[in-house]
Amino acid sequence: MDVDKLPAGPHAVPPGEGRSPSTAVPVIVATNVSKTYGRTHALAGTNLTVHAGEVLGLVGHNGAGKSTLMRVLAGLEGCDEGAVTVLGREVPAGTRPREQDFRGVRMAYQETSLCPDLTVAENIWLSSRRGLPRLRWRRAAAEAVRLRLDEIFPGHGISPRDRVEDLSIAQRQMAEIARASLASPLNLLILDEPTESLGPDAAQSLYAYVRTVTARGGSVLLISHRIREVLSVADRVAVMRDGSVVEDLPAHGLGEDDVLLLMGAETAVRGATGANPPAAPRNAPRADTPVVAELRGATGAGLNGVGLRIGKGEVVGLAGLAGQGQQQVLERLWRPVRRDTVVHGTRAYVPGDRQRSGVLPLWTVAENLTISAMRTIARHGIRRPVHETAVAGDWVRRLSIRGGADAAMADLSGGNQQKVIVARAFASAADMVLLDDPFRGVDIHTKTDLYGLIRAEAAQGRSVVWYSSENAEMAHCDRVYVFRAGKVVAELVGPEISEERIIAVSFAEGDQPPPAAALASVPTEPTSTRSVAAPAAAGNSAGEHRHD
Amino acid sequence: MTDALTSALPTRAGVRRSAPAAVSTIALAAMVVLCASLQPDVLTVPGFSLVLSVAVPLIFAAQAQMILMSIGDIDLGIGSFVGLVTVIAATELVSSPLLGTLILFALIAGYAVLGALIHLRRVPALIATLGASFVWLGLGLFVLPTPGGTTPEWLASFGAWQPTSFPAPLLPILAVALLVYLMSARSTLGVRIRALGSNPTALERAGLSPLSSRVAAYTAAGALGVLSGLLLSSQTGGGDVSSASSYTLITVAAVILGGGSFRGGSAVPWGVAIGGMALGLVSVTLSLLDVATNLQSAVQGGIVLAVLAGRALIGRVLR
Amino acid sequence: MNTPRNLLSRPWIWGFVAALLVWAVIMAVSGQGGGQTVSLALSLAPYLVLVGLGQMLVVTAGPGNIDVSVGPVISLAGFVSVGTSSATGSVVLGILAGLAAGLVVAAVSSVAILGLSVPPIIATLASGLVASSATLVIADGFTALPDPGLRNLLNLRPLGVPLLAIVVAALTVLAVLLLRGTTYGRSLTAIGQNTRAAERAGLPVVRITALTYLASGALAGLAGSLLATYIAPTPDLGTRYLLDSIAVVVIGGTLISGGRAVPAGVWGGALFFILLDGLVNLVGWSTAAQNLLKGCLVLFVLFLAGGGSRRPGAAPVRPTRRPSTTAALPTPANTGGTTHG
Repeated sequence: MDVDKLPAGPHAVPPGEGRSPSTAVPVIVATNVSKTYGRTHALAGTNLTVHAGEVLGLVGHNGAGKSTLMRVLAGLEGCDEGAVTVLGREVPAGTRPREQDFRGVRMAYQETSLCPDLTVAENIWLSSRRGLPRLRWRRAAAEAVRLRLDEIFPGHGISPRDRVEDLSIAQRQMAEIARASLASPLNLLILDEPTESLGPDAAQSLYAYVRTVTARGGSVLLISHRIREVLSVADRVAVMRDGSVVEDLPAHGLGEDDVLLLMGAETAVRGATGANPPAAPRNAPRADTPVVAELRGATGAGLNGVGLRIGKGEVVGLAGLAGQGQQQVLERLWRPVRRDTVVHGTRAYVPGDRQRSGVLPLWTVAENLTISAMRTIARHGIRRPVHETAVAGDWVRRLSIRGGADAAMADLSGGNQQKVIVARAFASAADMVLLDDPFRGVDIHTKTDLYGLIRAEAAQGRSVVWYSSENAEMAHCDRVYVFRAGKVVAELVGPEISEERIIAVSFAEGDQPPPAAALASVPTEPTSTRSVAAPAAAGNSAGEHRHD
Repeated sequence: MTDALTSALPTRAGVRRSAPAAVSTIALAAMVVLCASLQPDVLTVPGFSLVLSVAVPLIFAAQAQMILMSIGDIDLGIGSFVGLVTVIAATELVSSPLLGTLILFALIAGYAVLGALIHLRRVPALIATLGASFVWLGLGLFVLPTPGGTTPEWLASFGAWQPTSFPAPLLPILAVALLVYLMSARSTLGVRIRALGSNPTALERAGLSPLSSRVAAYTAAGALGVLSGLLLSSQTGGGDVSSASSYTLITVAAVILGGGSFRGGSAVPWGVAIGGMALGLVSVTLSLLDVATNLQSAVQGGIVLAVLAGRALIGRVLR
Repeated sequence: MNTPRNLLSRPWIWGFVAALLVWAVIMAVSGQGGGQTVSLALSLAPYLVLVGLGQMLVVTAGPGNIDVSVGPVISLAGFVSVGTSSATGSVVLGILAGLAAGLVVAAVSSVAILGLSVPPIIATLASGLVASSATLVIADGFTALPDPGLRNLLNLRPLGVPLLAIVVAALTVLAVLLLRGTTYGRSLTAIGQNTRAAERAGLPVVRITALTYLASGALAGLAGSLLATYIAPTPDLGTRYLLDSIAVVVIGGTLISGGRAVPAGVWGGALFFILLDGLVNLVGWSTAAQNLLKGCLVLFVLFLAGGGSRRPGAAPVRPTRRPSTTAALPTPANTGGTTHG
């Protein structure tokens, strides 16, 4: 890690100011912090300390309280009990946090907090206006963000005058991280799932920048589901469970399985990490399986001559790096309007973005669950409530959805909401179920339940088409198509399916970096050992375990 | 290669965004050509002034509507509000200029309060402004139950001002577009207002108050509404609370024609100027074409639909 | 179930409470028994309820959905209906013609909204402009008179309750059943909550939305046909119904952001508005005061009730899942008794 060779920060917002005068004072201390929403105890007496110049990794299941803790640490919300101390100044419980107390604490949000209709520079003004002049602010903001983006993500391809809505998802994430990092002083940078939509190269350069921040005296709080990344970057790892930090350990010498165990995944670890073959049996694909859907040389709208075939009762995976055409295939299968797509039978769709395309917020679990099935249950357009209730009750039991059928959908945790939306699709009479990366950010227990469900449903003759950004999940498929640049580059069947294999073929053509985010100035081979962040950059790769 | 790609991308998006205004410009040009072929006097300075003058108060009101639409709200009371201002201009502003001015400022403050209440009580602007339109209408009828009154000397003389070198209405149209452009697109206030329409959470996380953004937008809209009413009364020479009732929906159409959206977040002052002129010109074209008065509104509706259809098609091609 | 607290949490109750208050004021001012006032209000409210029910369905289809063509449609349907019934001598044909006029206008809106992705407010505005042109053309030299038989029927008040009010009340119950008990109603409510999610759940969004606008057009056409017979066909017959229908839907507790429809509330809102008009006329206030009062009251109710959270996840009042239809049936006297008791 060669920090000195990195370009210096922009003049408008000098980063050097962040160097903490005394390492004795922690950047932020959360003492016995509790926070309750309605009946949910989001935080139950949590303690957390971030020291100056360190990278702290924060891991935990969905609903463990990570996001609430971050909101409290970033000063977005006050806590009910306990106190947060920022650079020695205490912010007591029960009060609305004042903005000036949290000025040096910055957070890059997973879903980004950029305004899509504004330019990148205007967004920078919004959040970093204090470091900018009153006059000619536009130019100063553009200059600052350009320098910072060049520093973190060389070759990002973002112009400060671009509107955020015109950027790719990876570019938006880069702009969001740059936005958060532009502060003076930058005492604590909170990164919430920063690499979720970044390519491996961008992730690598981000983690290099994280080291720069700490070298300058700032601290970084890294929240990620990618435990391997956390372990390779963080100095310390804090594990959250049920609203409090249960473990706080040095990252050195810690393995992924150890962390998963600490998170409470005793039984699920083996199946979910993909280190071992899945428990679910694989159907040997037979030649005589009737074909339910077929794409023949599908071209256009992000696809480039894709041919694939879905058999009855088959679980077909769409793998590869994010954004290589997998979602376009699902779209074709969902709405087969072009002639290159032939689909027999009915379909159901499980969206990945549940808040935007899944949840019906005013309704109960039962109502959310049966909305797709309703139309087949009904006779002549008249609903049959008794049958619907039975279906809902059945699925609530089968997936053990917490709160029961009568709970309000909006009150459920993300994982349970996702269960309802998956159940919605499987409760319908559809012959084929399309999964659009639905298990991202879902905790391991829920995932294990849902993997079992998918296998059970396939055994009963349902076809499943499954796009996932987590290559480990592909182990539950009968057949996997690996995508690259809108093409199928490999078809893996049965025992051929493995994370290593998928990763290998995803990068097969190797010379050019595949996603728009990844750019030429950084070497692309995932095996590079030049950087600390190299294993992390491989993301889901089962490549190197740093403790072996 | 990367540079070429990245510089090509925003251009394409930019083209897509300015497509609506471009379609409106083409429609505008087509109508000017059509009018000129029917009545060559349209191309003279007085002729063009006459044609454009209808659009002036409309464009001011449409700019007000645009600002509110840029925060994701719609003002269904702007028509009655402009009407109320013409009534004040034709009565109080003549009898007691000071009181009249105070009332006009109070009306702007009324808009600010409306915006604050909409925000604090979290009610849809569509309905609140609809309710407010009854209030504006009632106030206008109180002051002046039947159309009448006379506008102040200075206002009337501004309405009658006829320079020979350029069409007088262009001056206020361009001035207000420039003013709104500077306010909404170049100033930090504009960033805060558009951020509210684009992503209120981001605004709040940045430590800025969404309330003040909304109040600022409503205040600006109120001020532009007052200006619109003054200009309208300078043209009609009197006050009539229902003289601008058609503005409520026509201003929305002007914003949409100019490239604005209901989603909020974008400010299109120049587009609104073009859209407003195009809509103003429609009625002139129709009367020159001897279209029966009965059918004029149908044709107007048809044109709005046709322009939007064209815009949708172009949008699809450019996607 | 029937505790006052439960009742107060019902979104539709407030329109009725407001209507009752106005009714009480009318009784206090006029010093007479209120029976006649109620009877009169019940003979005027059904027209507004018909239009309001259509508007309610449209509003329920989600943010941005609104039908501003109802005003022109009412005027147009009035002329078409009266003209047809006097030309053919058949009242039924007349009403059907008025209904068809509404359907045609709504079809134009639907094509523009769904086919050309024109925002609803603009699409219905444009189709409304076309409708008002058609109205003016028909009104030119229009001499036909409304059918006296139908007019008598509309004036019929067995036991003081107008026949039309009973019919429209039955229609309201039908609307409740439609929303709760049919796939159409459920789909519409789902679309209104989250259109994208509804589409991904496999609901026919385009068909449901088109049906909703057509229903609104048909109801406005029906209201126009009857109203023109009850009063007289005039070009501005429907003008006030545009704003009133939206206001009545909001006062009635229907979520303006979509996803929750409250048919019973439309009655409360309509009675409130009609009684308010009656009160202002009784006191002898000018139209100015009438508008001012109406506006202030709408704003007052709106700001008092508040819109709840802007986040989709936190609706202020959850919809009742399987409520008894009897409780939702809007008979003002009944409701009044419960609230006061």
